[in-house]
Amino acid sequence: MKEAERKRGDVEIHQASAWVLRAGVISSVSMMLLGLAISLFKDRPDVARMSSLGFKPDYLNILRQASRGNGLALIELGIFLLVLTPILRVAASMAIFAAHERDWFYAAVTFLVLLLTLASLLILR
Amino acid sequence: MERSLLWLFEVGGASFAGGVIGAISGFGGGIVIVPVLTVFLGLPIQHTIGASIISVIAVSSGAGSVYVKDRITNIRIAMFLELSTALGAILGAAVLSRYLGGPSLYVLFGITLLLTLIPILANIHQELPENVRNDRLAAALRLNSSYFDHRLGREVSYQVTGIPQAMGIMGVAGVVSGLLGIGAGVVKVLAHEIYMKVPTKVSTATSNFMIGVTAASAAGVYLRRGAVLPYLVVPVATSVLAGAFLGTKLMERMSNARVRQVFAVALGVIGAQMLLRGLGGLRH
Repeated sequence: MKEAERKRGDVEIHQASAWVLRAGVISSVSMMLLGLAISLFKDRPDVARMSSLGFKPDYLNILRQASRGNGLALIELGIFLLVLTPILRVAASMAIFAAHERDWFYAAVTFLVLLLTLASLLILR
Repeated sequence: MERSLLWLFEVGGASFAGGVIGAISGFGGGIVIVPVLTVFLGLPIQHTIGASIISVIAVSSGAGSVYVKDRITNIRIAMFLELSTALGAILGAAVLSRYLGGPSLYVLFGITLLLTLIPILANIHQELPENVRNDRLAAALRLNSSYFDHRLGREVSYQVTGIPQAMGIMGVAGVVSGLLGIGAGVVKVLAHEIYMKVPTKVSTATSNFMIGVTAASAAGVYLRRGAVLPYLVVPVATSVLAGAFLGTKLMERMSNARVRQVFAVALGVIGAQMLLRGLGGLRH
């Protein structure tokens, strides 16, 4: 009985993780491609500009510009979403370990991973 | 306009190949992308590494979604070992990078990788590891599992050993990625192969799953430094993702021995690359 329960929980974690990863990559890459298409038609950037313009991590401004249909901002938003994808995957498995499986040991492990990952993403220079 | 399109296609081609190899061998696609973009397209190294970090996330997530759904990835192993990787990465980036770094570190890392080819080559024809028994930690953590092997046409059950050693190696992988700003997926596959003795497909799929988290934590630094070029990332991420999906289809049909051979070649190339980069830096 316990073994069967564990198997079912494992299937749920696999399905949820796969779903988060797939949704993350498909939406972020579509956003990037849309941004590139808009940008190529409207701004017509040349190779020199394309191979030198760096990402500016001013997220409020990116959101504002992206909502106005700015191509470059849409690309940047897509990149940010892609970086978030593995982190959202960790958060999803944590939720399932805790809520569905009541597997507190793995829920705690995933929580620590989530914390450390967010810390290095946000704090390290 | 036409030149920009051509440029996008050139970048995309290299990235597609990187995605295929990255998805099969379990470590992003940087081994193909970084040299092609720097040597052939003449882009500065910090921008290619910035693009490569983002591409590792794309390969890990794209290929990961397939391997996880098909249950080749061992999520418990990944979650448990990600803890030591994440600790190592913070230690490497926040503390050790003040004292260590520079070309000699690349030389050391390169030589170490080339030496690890020896145990990999010793088992190059082995299809599945034999006589592996769960160690106490693996049993307590319920790390043993099974996957359906399309090549063998049957469910393969496996046990897991060497968890303390693997934790140590994963910590080192974290430190290396924190110091050098790379995903260090190659070290993760080595820990699975040499110490934990899981089937090679499980090794590469589980390592592939883990590198996304490591790369995401490293990405913040690159984003803040302006090392990520949005126009470069679009063709790289898109093509690497398409390559990764193709790579998963190929990998699932390959034998474990073949996957290990692809990994061994990639390991040799990465080791040599690191060594050369370090030696080049020492000369200057």
